Amino acid sequence: MLKKILFSLAAGAVEAGRASSSDAQSSPIKTNVLRPPGAVKEDLFAAKCIRCGRCVEACPYNSIKMLDIRAGFFAGTPVIYPQDIPCYLCMKCVEVCPTGTLQKVKQSEVRMGLAVIDHTLCITWKLQALCRTCYNVCPYKETAIKLDQLRPVVVEDKCVGCGLCVHGCPLPTKAIRIEPIYSF
Amino acid sequence: MAMTRRDFIKASAAASAALLVGINPGKAKTAQAATTQDVDKWVRGVCRFCGVGCRVELGLKDGRPVALRGVSGSKTNLGFLCMKGMLFHRIMYHPDRLKKPLYRERKDQPFKEISWEEALDIAAAKFAQAVKEHGPESVAYYGSGQCLTEETYIFQKVMRAGLRSNNVEGNPRLCMASAVGGYLTSFGADEPIGAYEDIEKAYCFFIIGSNMAEAHPVIFRRLMRRKLDKPQEVKVINADPRVSPTSRIADMHLQFTPGTDLALLNSMAYVIIEEKLYDEEFIKNYCKFKKPGKPVTDVGFEDYKAYLADYTPERTASLCGGNITAENIRQAARMFATSRGTMSFWCMGINQRIRGVWANNLIHNLHMLTGQLCKPGADSFSLTGQPNACGGVREGGGLCHILPGHRPVKIDKLRHQVEDLWGVPRGRIPKKPGYHTVAMFSAVNEGKIKAIWINCTSPAQSLPNCDKYRKGMAREDVFMVVTEIFPTKTTELANLVLPTAFHFEKTGVYGCTERRSQLTVKTVDAPGEAKPEVWIVREWALKLAEKLNDPVIKKCVEPFVGLDEDFDLPKAIWDEYTQKITAGRDNDLRGATYEVLMQMADGVQWPAPTKEHALKGGTYKKFVRGIDPLADKHAKDDKPYVFYGPAHKDAKLYFWLRPYKGAAEEPDSEYPFFLSTGRIIDHWHTTSMTGRIPELMRANPYAYVEINPKDAARLGIKPGDMVEVTTRRGKCVLPAKIYVGPMEGMVFVYWHDMHEDRMINRVTKDAFDPGSKEPEFKICACRISRVSGPKQLRPFIVQM
Repeated sequence: MLKKILFSLAAGAVEAGRASSSDAQSSPIKTNVLRPPGAVKEDLFAAKCIRCGRCVEACPYNSIKMLDIRAGFFAGTPVIYPQDIPCYLCMKCVEVCPTGTLQKVKQSEVRMGLAVIDHTLCITWKLQALCRTCYNVCPYKETAIKLDQLRPVVVEDKCVGCGLCVHGCPLPTKAIRIEPIYSF
Repeated sequence: MAMTRRDFIKASAAASAALLVGINPGKAKTAQAATTQDVDKWVRGVCRFCGVGCRVELGLKDGRPVALRGVSGSKTNLGFLCMKGMLFHRIMYHPDRLKKPLYRERKDQPFKEISWEEALDIAAAKFAQAVKEHGPESVAYYGSGQCLTEETYIFQKVMRAGLRSNNVEGNPRLCMASAVGGYLTSFGADEPIGAYEDIEKAYCFFIIGSNMAEAHPVIFRRLMRRKLDKPQEVKVINADPRVSPTSRIADMHLQFTPGTDLALLNSMAYVIIEEKLYDEEFIKNYCKFKKPGKPVTDVGFEDYKAYLADYTPERTASLCGGNITAENIRQAARMFATSRGTMSFWCMGINQRIRGVWANNLIHNLHMLTGQLCKPGADSFSLTGQPNACGGVREGGGLCHILPGHRPVKIDKLRHQVEDLWGVPRGRIPKKPGYHTVAMFSAVNEGKIKAIWINCTSPAQSLPNCDKYRKGMAREDVFMVVTEIFPTKTTELANLVLPTAFHFEKTGVYGCTERRSQLTVKTVDAPGEAKPEVWIVREWALKLAEKLNDPVIKKCVEPFVGLDEDFDLPKAIWDEYTQKITAGRDNDLRGATYEVLMQMADGVQWPAPTKEHALKGGTYKKFVRGIDPLADKHAKDDKPYVFYGPAHKDAKLYFWLRPYKGAAEEPDSEYPFFLSTGRIIDHWHTTSMTGRIPELMRANPYAYVEINPKDAARLGIKPGDMVEVTTRRGKCVLPAKIYVGPMEGMVFVYWHDMHEDRMINRVTKDAFDPGSKEPEFKICACRISRVSGPKQLRPFIVQM
């Protein structure tokens, strides 16, 4: 086990060495790479988070991942890749965060990001099929996502950005993505 | 790179923590779906899934299926498909496909591969032995509304005329037997009068007990289109205890307590009569009033009115609970009666009831009362769940009490007619109907059935209270043959598993909800040694004839011997069925030969007695003179409609005076919740097919229980918590979804999950309608309690 860890670290260090310093310093948060619920502003996140990993441990779905050494300055901070495992909004992580980096917000007030539908990719918008998967899997169906003539439409001020829709989208090139909005 | 020692330690802690947490198991690998540019040939066919009957085109690249698409201009789906229909080519070369016959002598042994010769020999020997030792009643066939018409037809022919057993059943008993009962008792003829075309002419839609937005999405789209084209004029009423995606376009959602639907329907009739909104002319010309009982008595309009006196809107509203008020019952009745064309849609919510036939009758009553029948945009339209429940099973004789061509088995004249047409001696088909589904599997439990053939369905998962019936199927003295394409919960209990060809790997006809027959011709080869069912039955019957030394069994398949199983064999079976059996019946299909069906991209709607009529698409509306050739033929006067249905000799429609009756099991202090089950758009039945399409499985990997937020708050259940659903029959543990769907005091679970913990039919109730013998899946009593917080669950599909 130890050998394995060391090996992966060494590999990581080599990779990190290759990466330019600006990569290691800039935030890893981007499209479909999100902070857990209740996160403070991204400018403050790395400073407040003590990399204790409790949120990662508490997550029953293994949604939260810890960034490794390749993330440089941001190594050890938690992120969610909704394409792999989205956030099911159980809100366990915010309860265990010892520093308030993940603030205790209500489920409906979470703003991990905003779902954006690409109308040029979505087969329902392209009138090729009747797919409603993103609508079906949304925990705030009819509030955060609605159907306009059976086509999905995101309600911007209600979407929590949990990424269930991204995970569910059946297309090989996902027609829906989560854009981070850097607070809560 | 600037990095302090401290950072490095932190990072390594982080990395080890990440390793300890484990590797992500939820990653579904999506193979690159082919785009339309990759396809070098498109082949026409019909969708494999629900009863809508969408026309599809299968895209081939170098002879392999790579894509599916809709074709604009199709009469059923207007070019639209749902995700299931768009992706089913993905399972055709799935590694789990069964490729060789598998056999085991005892059910606790592992399967071993054997040859077809051996497999058919064993199947024939076991059935022959059962017949010899225990009589013809000890063998049974349990089919499916997903079999091709040719398959159901030849199976039931061999069972009835060959083995002299009426134990021919199928899963349509679980889904539309009540609709059959309703149509026959009210209209005298099975299957809807109108067609989907009426949607574009209707002004009021009454949707009760159907979540068509999920279960029949393409039809729902047509309905929605109609509503959006004329948002002010077209009204949609949805009556359902659960707020479903279907309710979202409704002008009015009537949310009644589960099981009070009969009262609601009677109350609407009360209002229509009270406010004099009924069509006197229509009633006088075409209808009779019948009071059930032994014997059935003829009554008049006044008696009908008197019997409805119990169902005042005020009284009914307090009975129905939910959001129902006397005023909205009145309003719904007015919308229904006064529109220029009202179309009702219903499905399992009405059929899967202990009084499903009555509920069907009461919907028909509303249509007869208001004359909302036969005119454009007006129909009482039962939706069907399976692609060939209508065409194969209802018309093809796939249930224990009916012979092909809508002939009840107990009527001597009709039975002898079939015997003569088949060229078997009279008296060969027993007069007594066989076991219906629940009785059949009860007989398996009791050891009365010694050999059973299960084709293209998985009763081990789809029967209500399935644990009870799985015990019987697991008995060592019950020999079980299963014909399947994938391992299922039922193959786990089989002795002999025979691999079959899938859709587009064999030729045959599907008949959808609107009496439309569509042909799908073999396009690709089945994997391994998988064979079409028609071939299997023919070869099996020939061996049976030998083993039982019975020339009549051979006679059943004699016309088909030596024909090529990919096209000529199903064609010969179809020809025998249509040209001989349907001739002169209400589902006359003589015009719809394979040649015609190959020309007609959208198939043919029966009655289609002649080729000329079939080439025009057949009959869009039954019973209307000038449209339906049989109506012209049977006409005795110059009234515009002729109700010539075979079950009503007087050619009248019957009003039935049916009282309100609740569910078989209502909640009480011990089990305080209603449990209802249903479907979701991305899955199909037991998930043996859709569960193997990663795109669909990713979105809906496992079943969950929908709980109303108010109930959840009261019981301390949070989203994702594991919840135990307990009924008198057992328990399931599922994750909770807190959602304003089911009304307060009701929970909802979808049944597409093979995992033992989440297979909801282990807890549903097997009480059934005494008329249609259809079980009441939709209502039973349960209690729910929180077991733990959220847990990571894994999707589960049975493997061999």
